[in-house]
Amino acid sequence: QEYVAKIGHLESPAQSRNVTLEKVAELVKERTDGEVEFQIFPQGQLGNQRQMNEGVQLGTIEGTVAPAAFLGGFNPAVSIMDIPYLLPEDDAKAQELRDGPFGQALLDTFSDKGMFAVTLWPNGKKQFTSNKPLDTLADFADQKFRVMDSSILIEQFNALGASAIALPFGELYTSLQTGVVDGEENPLDTIMNMKFYEVQEYLVVSDHGAMEDVVLFNPMWWDSLPAEYQEVITTAFHEVIPELTAHKAAAVEEALETIEAAGTNVRVAGEEERAALREATFGPASEAYVAKAGDTGKALLSTYEEAYEALH
Amino acid sequence: MKFLTLLRTIERSLLVALFLAMVVLYTGSVVTREIGGTFASRFAWVEEAVRMMNLFLVFLALGLALERGKHVGITNLRERLPAGAIRAVCKLIDLCGLFFGLYLAWLAFSLVQFVLKSGQASPTLGVPMGYIYLAPVVGFLLLALRYGLSLFGIIDRFNAQEQAE
Amino acid sequence: MILALILLLAVLLLVAGFEMFLVLGLPALAYKEAFYGRLPDAAVVQKIVGGIDHSTLLAIPFFIFAANLMGSGQIARQLVGVVTALVGHSRGGIGHVVVGGSMAFGAVSGSAPATVAAMGRMVYPEMRKAGYSEKFSLGLLVSSAETALLIPPSITLIVYGWITGTSISQLFAAGLGVGLVLGVAFAIFVEIQARRDNVSHSDRLPWGARLRAIWNAKWALGMPVIILGGIYSGVITPTEAAAVSVVYAILVETLVFRSLNWGALVKITEDSAINTSIIFVLLAMGGLISFFVTLAQVPTAILGLLDSADAGRIAFLIAVNICFFIAGMFIDPNSTLLVLVPPLYPVAQSFGIDPVHFGMLVTFNVCLGMITPPFGLDIFVASSTLGKPVADIIRGVWPFVLVNVIVLLLITYIPQISLFVPRLIYG
Ligand code: NA
Ligand code: NA
Repeated sequence: QEYVAKIGHLESPAQSRNVTLEKVAELVKERTDGEVEFQIFPQGQLGNQRQMNEGVQLGTIEGTVAPAAFLGGFNPAVSIMDIPYLLPEDDAKAQELRDGPFGQALLDTFSDKGMFAVTLWPNGKKQFTSNKPLDTLADFADQKFRVMDSSILIEQFNALGASAIALPFGELYTSLQTGVVDGEENPLDTIMNMKFYEVQEYLVVSDHGAMEDVVLFNPMWWDSLPAEYQEVITTAFHEVIPELTAHKAAAVEEALETIEAAGTNVRVAGEEERAALREATFGPASEAYVAKAGDTGKALLSTYEEAYEALH
Repeated sequence: MKFLTLLRTIERSLLVALFLAMVVLYTGSVVTREIGGTFASRFAWVEEAVRMMNLFLVFLALGLALERGKHVGITNLRERLPAGAIRAVCKLIDLCGLFFGLYLAWLAFSLVQFVLKSGQASPTLGVPMGYIYLAPVVGFLLLALRYGLSLFGIIDRFNAQEQAE
Repeated sequence: MILALILLLAVLLLVAGFEMFLVLGLPALAYKEAFYGRLPDAAVVQKIVGGIDHSTLLAIPFFIFAANLMGSGQIARQLVGVVTALVGHSRGGIGHVVVGGSMAFGAVSGSAPATVAAMGRMVYPEMRKAGYSEKFSLGLLVSSAETALLIPPSITLIVYGWITGTSISQLFAAGLGVGLVLGVAFAIFVEIQARRDNVSHSDRLPWGARLRAIWNAKWALGMPVIILGGIYSGVITPTEAAAVSVVYAILVETLVFRSLNWGALVKITEDSAINTSIIFVLLAMGGLISFFVTLAQVPTAILGLLDSADAGRIAFLIAVNICFFIAGMFIDPNSTLLVLVPPLYPVAQSFGIDPVHFGMLVTFNVCLGMITPPFGLDIFVASSTLGKPVADIIRGVWPFVLVNVIVLLLITYIPQISLFVPRLIYG
């Protein structure tokens, strides 16, 4: 084959991202008569996400499917995805937002960052877990939550009166077990895969944080492709989105069953509670976002607001 | 050599300052977490900072470690050779080490430029990430310097261990 | 052909006594030029830095620092004094202390290199004093540290659990069982060797004298109390425990024992930084090598060979052992898992091997990789912290590699050893 792309990502082989990537690889191979081959390296075999992002800029690897939460250092504008309850609850509406001017504006912010962004991929929503009850918003106060490296997520927890604690992902299981931190936030399938439910008593299905993936390629490699192959790849990444969403939904369903069966206290937050949570966190998190992403961020946020209004 | 003495003082002072600061920061973050509340959130950067400091600690000590004969290697087979051959092998090692150090320092420097230009910043501190690759630039240069000095017989790193202990 | 030349180059550099980071680094550069010419050169540095830019590695410098402080001052001596008062009358004496101490320390640190560094400074001189040979003392120190990866908490087991989706609680329970079995195997070896070396042992002390010894060492005993207590009560993580133990050692050695002044602190800090650098530069080169092993998809190729040979379950398990054994020679533990487990795990499943059992196998193999010459991280840590030539340590390690292989065979073919504790706890 003429064009080979090494594509790295963090999830394990059976998870939705990898399964769908394999599917895309198959479609692309078929439609380019084997001229374009995707070699997929799951589970951070090619390094942690920061190194993979850098590798894409450098041309060490050709592509990565990166969670937006790990891209803030490379492109502050993308951290807009860290703002809680950014995307509408309804999957179809969320996809409309991705396909519309907001999604395109977000992808465009990568163009001067040494990366070519093909599309956004939905990858589930974050939930809260803890060893202390999370019955009401007030319960968050003074609990310690592990947080990813992001000033916006730190503000999200501050807004609830909780402590945001930076801990390496690898140490999180033990830290939840011994009580170094009380809780964490992650999508349900991650909570299942990392076995956090083994060491967590309470789980609130709040769907508060979108886990968006950005599909990124090295611009030099991308530009070396004939236009028809670029078209094939872009189309393939787009057309599998319903499949991706379905696979994710099934994984989440299964995770929820496993977690409930293990005796973890699961509670689904109602509409009112979600509205209250959004009310409390959206403002402070947006302010932290604008402080970080500057004018580009401000512009993107207003594009978002327009598009969001248009949906209702 | 006045220059070497000065360089060693700088290297040693930096290493000691870095390491003690790492200890203080990491212990301090435990204390802030015990205090809790949103106060604890203000120190989420410590983890990232200490990880970066450790990178500089590792690379800054490369040269001193070489000068003191501390780097590990399996030397007992070489020592069975006749004296002349041992000298030749040692010179060869110095030469290879010199080029290895210079080459990697140069590569690291190009990486610094590349990453600074890309604008990548660290996620919590917002420090330009290009600077972390200064650690290998400086470290491999210090290493190359020691290989060079040994090659020209200005320092004797092969017998340093015995003298020291 | 080119590959064979590159391997030959590595062997030549090794025998000629090149610094170990050159033995790893120069052939890696040659390999890159030969097979990945189009890859940007700067990627080399990116992977070198990537090999050490992990938060979970931070426990190593801190524990090295703490161990150097304790070893130069009073804490280590007093801790050894307490244990000697308690078990010094048994024949193995200090030898058992090394095994037990490493298991306890490994339990908290989760890092084999940190365990070697910490235990080495404390007990190596005492072992020699008691009459153990240099060879045996070094071998025992290096190998006992393996238990750190097995006895929970263990990042290695968490990584395995994450890759394969196996219950981490069950893995921890199994690791405890396997870690204990390995500890017992070493203890038996110690007992035999103590007779052979005719190791001296003290008289059995009355309980009054023992309690006095404990009371006299109260400040030194604060160290294990802080580390163990701090972690299990949920105040600190294992990495933080390492940093806190540095602070505790500095405070106690200066304020209580008055054995540490500013000049000595500076010297110890500097030495610890250099020890750290020596170990991390090897991990850095390992980062580069594991990148190329990943790109070349070596494990998949090996599985292809197995497949064409129509191998059965036994052949598969032997192949797993060999893969890890070789990989462990060049690559750090967590990278080894990331590279090898994803392709091997599905095959293990198809043979009906229990995931927890397979996890023990894999982790044990990773442990073994850290002590097998020529590239064994723990060997280098011992060399660097004790100032002993690598060759001397390798001579001491061989008998333990043999003990390990025996235990490994037992674990491989008797799944019950791995599954006993988890079944006891989880039914
Ligand atoms: Na452990
Ligand atoms: Na090894």
